[in-house]
Amino acid sequence: MRAPAANETALGESLLAVEDVSLSFGGVRALTGVSFDIRKGEIRAIIGPNGAGKTSMLNVVNGFYQPQAGRISFKGMVRKSMRPYAAAQGGIARTFQNLALFRGMTTLDNILAGRTLKMHRGFFWQLLRYGPALREEVEHRRRVEEIIDFLEIAAIRKVQVGRLPYGLQKRVELGRALAMEPDLLLLDEPMAGMNLEEKEDMSRFIIDVNQQYGTTIALIEHDMGVVMDLSDRVVVLDYGRKIADGTPDEVKRDKDVIRAYLGETH
Amino acid sequence: MHILYLIFVDPFMQMVHSPDLLMQTLWDGLVGGVLYALIALGFVLIFKASGVFNFAQGIMVVFAALTLVGLHEHGVPAFVALGLTVLVMLVLAFAVERLMLRPLVNQSEIILFMATFGLTYFLVGFGQLVFGGSPKVMITQDLYLPSGALEWKGNFGFVSFQKIDIAAVIIASIMVAVLAVFFQRTRIGRALRAVADSHQAALSVGISLEQIWVIVWFAAGVVALTTGIMWGARSEVSFSLQIIALKALPVLILGGFTSIPGAIVGGLIIGIGEKLGEFYWGPLLGGGIENWLAYVIALGFLVFRPQGLFGEKIIERI
Amino acid sequence: MPSLDPSLDTLPKLLSHNASAFGSRPAMRHKDLGIWQTWTWAQALDEVRAFSIGLAEIGLKRGDKFTIIGSNRPRLYWAMCAGQALGAIPVPVYADAVAEEMAFVLAHAEVTLAVVEDQEQVDKLIAVAEQLPQLSQVIYDESRGLKNYNHARLISFEDVQAIGRKKLASDADCRQRWEAGMREGKGKDLSVILYTSGTTGRSKGVMLTYENTIISARNANAFDRLDEREEVIAYLPLAWVGDYVFSYVQAFTAGYCVNCPEAQDTVVQDRREIGTTYAFAPPRVYENLLTITMVRMADAGPFKRKVFDFFIRVARRWGEKILDRERVPLHARLLYALGDFFVYGPLKNQFGLSRVRIGYTAGEAIGPELFRFYRGIGLNLKQLYGQTEASVYVTAQPDGQIYCDTVGTASPEVELKISDSGEVLYRSPGVFAGYYKDPEKTAEVLTADGWVHTGDAGFFDPKNGQLKIIDRANDVGRLTDGTVFAPKYLENKLKFFPNIREAVAVGAGREFACAMINIDLTAVGSWAERNNVVYASYQELAANPRVYDMIAQHIDETNRSLAEEAVMAGAQIRRFLILHKELDPDDGELTRTQKLRRGHIIDRYSPLVEAFYNGSTDAQITTQVTFEDGHKGAIAARVTIRDLKPAPVPAAKSAKMERAA
Repeated sequence: MRAPAANETALGESLLAVEDVSLSFGGVRALTGVSFDIRKGEIRAIIGPNGAGKTSMLNVVNGFYQPQAGRISFKGMVRKSMRPYAAAQGGIARTFQNLALFRGMTTLDNILAGRTLKMHRGFFWQLLRYGPALREEVEHRRRVEEIIDFLEIAAIRKVQVGRLPYGLQKRVELGRALAMEPDLLLLDEPMAGMNLEEKEDMSRFIIDVNQQYGTTIALIEHDMGVVMDLSDRVVVLDYGRKIADGTPDEVKRDKDVIRAYLGETH
Repeated sequence: MHILYLIFVDPFMQMVHSPDLLMQTLWDGLVGGVLYALIALGFVLIFKASGVFNFAQGIMVVFAALTLVGLHEHGVPAFVALGLTVLVMLVLAFAVERLMLRPLVNQSEIILFMATFGLTYFLVGFGQLVFGGSPKVMITQDLYLPSGALEWKGNFGFVSFQKIDIAAVIIASIMVAVLAVFFQRTRIGRALRAVADSHQAALSVGISLEQIWVIVWFAAGVVALTTGIMWGARSEVSFSLQIIALKALPVLILGGFTSIPGAIVGGLIIGIGEKLGEFYWGPLLGGGIENWLAYVIALGFLVFRPQGLFGEKIIERI
Repeated sequence: MPSLDPSLDTLPKLLSHNASAFGSRPAMRHKDLGIWQTWTWAQALDEVRAFSIGLAEIGLKRGDKFTIIGSNRPRLYWAMCAGQALGAIPVPVYADAVAEEMAFVLAHAEVTLAVVEDQEQVDKLIAVAEQLPQLSQVIYDESRGLKNYNHARLISFEDVQAIGRKKLASDADCRQRWEAGMREGKGKDLSVILYTSGTTGRSKGVMLTYENTIISARNANAFDRLDEREEVIAYLPLAWVGDYVFSYVQAFTAGYCVNCPEAQDTVVQDRREIGTTYAFAPPRVYENLLTITMVRMADAGPFKRKVFDFFIRVARRWGEKILDRERVPLHARLLYALGDFFVYGPLKNQFGLSRVRIGYTAGEAIGPELFRFYRGIGLNLKQLYGQTEASVYVTAQPDGQIYCDTVGTASPEVELKISDSGEVLYRSPGVFAGYYKDPEKTAEVLTADGWVHTGDAGFFDPKNGQLKIIDRANDVGRLTDGTVFAPKYLENKLKFFPNIREAVAVGAGREFACAMINIDLTAVGSWAERNNVVYASYQELAANPRVYDMIAQHIDETNRSLAEEAVMAGAQIRRFLILHKELDPDDGELTRTQKLRRGHIIDRYSPLVEAFYNGSTDAQITTQVTFEDGHKGAIAARVTIRDLKPAPVPAAKSAKMERAA
C-alpha cells in the first residue's frame, strides 16, 4: 500500500462533506441548511419519510442540481456546485431510483459505458483497433467481465437491457457504476421493488463492494432492516432538514426520528 | 385481362428482352440510391445522437457546396478550399451547439425541430448574402473528380456508366464504412450511442453532452459537404438542391431513423425502386411516377412496420 | 486410447499416462470471465501434482477421507485426483445441501479435510463446525468475501499449490516419491465414497473401488465408441455418481475433454458454444427445453407456427426411422432434409445439441412424446438405467434398438435377472464394495454371490427383450380390490404433460387411486398470459378453476390410456388436487436428484390425503417450509379437490379382469 498523496483521503477521514446546503425549486424548498459528511470507507445511509429531500440531496452531490446556498467539499476540494460529468470525472458514480440505463444496449455495453472516462488512447488508434488501443480495450473488457462475474449476471451478458426484469436491471446499473471504479458510490433506493431473495443478494453485493474494493457508499433506503444491517452511520432528513445523524442504533432511538416517521401522535 | 398482363408480365419480359436497359436502370437507381443514402445519413447521425430531426440538413448540403465553390471562385486553390470548408462546418457545429442546442437542452423535441427550421432559413439567407443567389458549377475538375463516361458494349447491348457516378459510389461507400467503424469501435462512437439512448445515463457516466453534440453536428456537416459535392457535380449547385433533402424522408422511414445501415439499405431500395418503377411501370401510369413512388413505399412501411427495416423495435416492459 | 492397459488401474495413473501419451490435447476447459480457458493433459497433471504435494505437506495421508463441495470446476476435479494420488479417498457432497445434511455425511465419513468452492460453502461448514471435530482444514477456491475470515483452518487452493511447488523445487526426490506413492495405489483400493440421496431413510455411503469405476467406464466408452475427440459439458452435481463417471472416470479412460460452464444459468449457451458431442441429462432438462420452445412457438406469428407444426409432423413420421437407418421413401427424405434446414437444425442449435452424437437420459421415465420428439428431430436420445451401487451402468439401449418405454439391454459385463417377487437384480464388475460403516444395509442389498437388489420392480418386454421398470419394488402396492397400484407408473404418465411438473399418486391400501399435482409454472404461466388469466403467485395460479379444468383434461386422457392396459385399468385416478406449493428438496419432499420422497410427502400432506378419501371437496392445509437461507416459515392454503369419471374399460379386457380378480 502506498502512502496517500497530498489530496488523497485516508481511511476514516471525511471524503465528502456538504455544508449548509439549501436547494429550492420555484417556491418549494427541497433542502434547508443541510450539513453532514461521509467518511472514506464507510457505508452511509440517508433515510427519511417520502419527500424529505433525499434524492435531491444526492442530485446535489452528483451535480444534477445546483444548490442556491452552501458548499460541497469532495476529496479536499471545495466547490459551490459541480456539473455531472465533472462529478463523474472526480470519482462519483450514481444509480437512480427509476433506473437510467441505456435500454437499447446490451448488459455488456452498458457496463462498458461505465469505463468511458477511463478510456484514454487516441481516437485514431481506436479506429484501427491496434497496439495500445487494443490492449486498453482488452483490459477494459477484462474489468467489465470481473464485474459481471461479481454480480452473477453472466447469463444476460448479451441481452438487451430493456428486456430484463427490474431486479436484474438494477444489478446492471450497479455494475455500470462499479465500472467507473468510483471513490464514492451513490445508490438511490437500490432495493426498491425487490423481493426478499433479491434484497439479500443486493445487500451482499453492496457489502462486498465496500469490503473488497474499499468503495465509500452513500445509499438512500426505505427498508429499515437493510439500513440497520448495512450502514455504519445514518443521516435522517425530514422536510428538507437534517434531524438526526449518527450510528444506526443512535438514530433508531432518536425521538425526532420516531416522530417524523410515525407522526405527531406518538 | 390486358391490364394485369401489363402490370405483372410485360415489364419482366422487357427486362429479360433488353438486359442492357435493365442494367442501365439498375445502375442509375443504385447511384441515386447511394446519394439518397448519404443525405439520410446526415439525418440519422444527428437524430441518433441528439434526438433532433434536423430540418436544416438539406440546406447544410447546399451551404457546404456553396462555401466550397465560393471560396474557389475567390482564388483559393481547390484542396485548400476543401479544407477550409471542413473548418467552416466545424465552426458551424460549434455555433449550433452553443447557440441552439445548449439553451434549448431541456425543451421538447418539437421545439428543437422548430429551431432547426430557424437554422434552415438562417442558412438560406446567409448563404444568399455571401454567395449570391445564382446557381454555380461544382469544381469537379479541380478536385480531381473524373468526368466523362465509361461505356460497356456486351453482346446484348450497351450500358453507360458516368465516371463521376462511379466515383460517387466509391466515395460514399468509404464514408459509410468509416462512420460505421467509428460508431462501433471508438470511445467517442460508444459515447454517441450512449447519448442517443439516455441523456441522464450518459451524464452520470461522465460523458459531456456538449462535446458529443459538436462532434455529431460536425460529422453531419462533413457528410453534407460530401453530398453537396457529389450532387453538385452531377447537376449544379443551387438552392433548389435542398429539395433533395425531402427525398430523404422515405429513406428514413424505410430504414429507421436511428440506423446507419438502415439509411444505406433504405436509400438503395428507394433509389433502385424509383428508377425501375419509372422505367418499366411508369408508361402505364402516364410517366412521372418517380416523384411520388418513394412516398407510396414509405406509406406502406408506416402501416406495417413503422420502425423501419432496421429501427429498434420498441419493447416496453410493463 | 489408453483404456485397455491393465496396469493403469487407478485414476492418477491414467492421468499420468495421458499426460505423456497425448499431453498437448485439451483435458479440461472452464469459461471464466467470458472466455474459455483450456488446460491440456500435461498442464492438468502439473496442477494436480502441485496440489497433491501441497495436500501431503498440510497433512493428508493415505486412507484419510476428504470432501469436495462445489459446482463443476476444474480445480475440484483435480483436487479429487490429487487426493487419490496420495491414497486418500474423496467424499464429494452436493453443493446445494443444507448444512445439516452436509454435517451428517461428513461426520459419518469421518472427513478430515475439505476442498470447497466459495464463501457459501465455507459458511455452511463453519455453521456445523462443532459437529465435525475431526475436520481440520478447509481449502477454498474462490477467495471473494473470505478476506476477513479467521484463517487458522482456512487456506486457499493457490496457497496449497504454492506449498507443493515450493517443495518440488527445493526437494529433488519429491517428485519421484510422489510418483512412487501414486503407483502404490491399486485397482482394488477404495477410490471414492458417494453418498446416495436416500429416497427412504438416511443417505448411505456407497464405496467404489478404482476397478469398479474404471472397468465400467471402459465398457461404456467401448459401447458408445467414445474416444479422445469427444466434448462433454459437466453441469450435473459433482457428488452424483453420473457426473463422477461421465466427467471424470470416462474422461480419463477415453482421453476426452470436459468443459465446465460459467454458471448454472449459462449452461445452455455454453453447451452451444462448445458444441458438445455427447450429452447426458435427466428427462426434466429435455422437458424444459421443449417447454420453452413450445412456449416461444405459441407466441410466434401464424406463418412460423404453421411451418413449425408441419415439419414437426414430418419429423414424427419419419425422423426416428431415418435415425435408425431404416429404409425411407425418397420424398420423405427430401421433406426431412428441408425440415432439418428450417426447423430441426436451428432447434438443435438453440438447445446446444447440434453436434451431439449420443444423448442419454436416465433417472426416471421419459414421456413417449418427448422421446419421439427429440429422436424425430435427429437427436440420438437413448435411455440407460443405473445406480450408484453399480458405478452407473446396469442397462443401456444400443443404437438401433431404442424404444421409449424400456431402459435397454444389460450393459457390457453386466448380468441381469428378475427375482420371483419381480425385483430386478444385477451383477457386474462395477458393483460396489459395500456401504461405508453399514454392514447390515450392505447385507440387505448385496447378496453373498455378488448380486445387487435394485429395489425396483421390472420385467423383460416380450417384444424386444429389453428391461422395463415399473416402479420401486416397495412402492408397488395394491388397492383394496386387489388391483396393482404402481404409483410411479401413474405419476410418469401424468408428468408427460408439459403442464404437470410433478405428480404424487396415492392409493396403496385404499379403494381407489388419487393424485396430487404440481403445475409447471413456465408452461401454465404462459398459458395464463395468453388466456388473460391473472395471478399474483404460484399459489393463486394453482388454485384457479380454469387451471383445474385443464389438468382434469390431462388426467382424463391418462385414465383413458390406463383403461387400455388390463393390469392398470382399475387404478384409474378418481380424485385429484393441485398443490399450493411446488415440491422442494429443501423441504425434504424431493431428493437432491428430484426424486419423490413419497412416504414423507404423504405424511406432510396427510390432511389432504384424508380429504381424498372422506369425500371432501376441499381441505385446509398448513405446511412448514424452509427458505433458501435456512429459516423456516409456514404456508397455509385451502385446496380444492375434484372428482373424475373413470374411463370405461373396453369390454374384452374387463372380462379378463373378472377372471384375474
